[in-house]
Amino acid sequence: MASRKAQREQARQERLRREAAEGAARRRRRMVQLGVGGALAAAIVVVVLIVVSQSGGGSSGGSASDVSDAGLVAKQLKGIPQHGNVLGDPSAKATIVEFGDPQCPVCKAFSEQIAPQLISGPVRGGAANYQFLPWLIIGPQSKPAAEAALAAGEQGRFWNYIGLFYRNQGEENSGYVTDDFMTAIAKGAGVPDIARWDTDRQSSKWDSQFKSVNQRAGQLGFTGTPSIYVQGPHGRKVFTNVPTAAEVNAAIKSVS
Amino acid sequence: MSGARGRLPSERTLRVAGAIIALLGIAVATYIAVADASRGSPVCLAGGHGCETVAQSRYSHLLGINVAVIGIGGYVVLLGSALAGGDTGRFTGFLAAAVGFGFSVYLTYLELFVIDAICQWCVASAVLMTLLLAVNATRAFGYAGAELAAVADGGAAAAGRGDTLG
Repeated sequence: MASRKAQREQARQERLRREAAEGAARRRRRMVQLGVGGALAAAIVVVVLIVVSQSGGGSSGGSASDVSDAGLVAKQLKGIPQHGNVLGDPSAKATIVEFGDPQCPVCKAFSEQIAPQLISGPVRGGAANYQFLPWLIIGPQSKPAAEAALAAGEQGRFWNYIGLFYRNQGEENSGYVTDDFMTAIAKGAGVPDIARWDTDRQSSKWDSQFKSVNQRAGQLGFTGTPSIYVQGPHGRKVFTNVPTAAEVNAAIKSVS
Repeated sequence: MSGARGRLPSERTLRVAGAIIALLGIAVATYIAVADASRGSPVCLAGGHGCETVAQSRYSHLLGINVAVIGIGGYVVLLGSALAGGDTGRFTGFLAAAVGFGFSVYLTYLELFVIDAICQWCVASAVLMTLLLAVNATRAFGYAGAELAAVADGGAAAAGRGDTLG
């Protein structure tokens, strides 16, 4: 009797162990399936994050009501002197000169990806200053945008303005360069006296500067924006293509 | 199956390692986030302007939120999954580590080929996230269903590997 009871108990234990083993195997199979599904879900999440990152945080740009990255631009330029359209120490040995159009998408990429390295490196370090010359080649809206930047420069905010403009740039010649948009950029750039800036930007005094920049670009053989050269006491390095930060740094050393 | 598992570190070891690495990740990401919020940029310990350049790039923020803050959230989830037992903890840890690793690969690509600057703190975070993926994948696929397996093995040996950190 006791023996049969023990046998039944043993059989029950065996069955429980078998069921547990089967259950464990099932869970492992399910975990592998979940793992594969999870890896796919993770890949999708990463792709979404990348798309959001590449799109500049969801804003398509050119919106007066959605000006972004003012803090980033301010942080990038904090503590660096500005004199009109020149950033950095005016007595620095070398000068980086950029010919750019505010509406130019390649200038936007240069402003966001290469210029920050130059600003945080040689410009902040005092090895070079950085001059931006508005070269208006994209279309009619380039002129008011450049005038607005130069007017901001009258109050020491040229680089804040042009940097913020690029970060919020819309589609070229789409009509986004409105008074509201430019005013929103000016406010985001920290222009102290908006009324004065508004008067300055509408002045005809910038026309001669635009004409002069256009002539200089032609003399240098430039064909598009952004075009860059580096000038120093030992010569000038003119780039025929859009340079990398490393190439500009090397040019600064060679002309200084 | 138990033979294969026998070659793996114990789940307790993996969970302790996962918790320690996640804590280090929280520390790194918190430093970057605090530096961004106060002085402006994290400082590269080996010198150079790489950290500043990366912090000032447009890629340092996602929907207006500093990527380091998002990183803190990810590491906290990974810490929680290391502390949590069972398949829920294993699967959550694997999923969070996979997302974190994928995004770290993207950010490292940006540093190398787009921003053209290397931030040591970001590299440190990417290394930690890679280690967390290895730890959590090993835990998830090596120890799924470990509780039932322990019953099937008669309890003592497998259960002794521990499912708690205490």
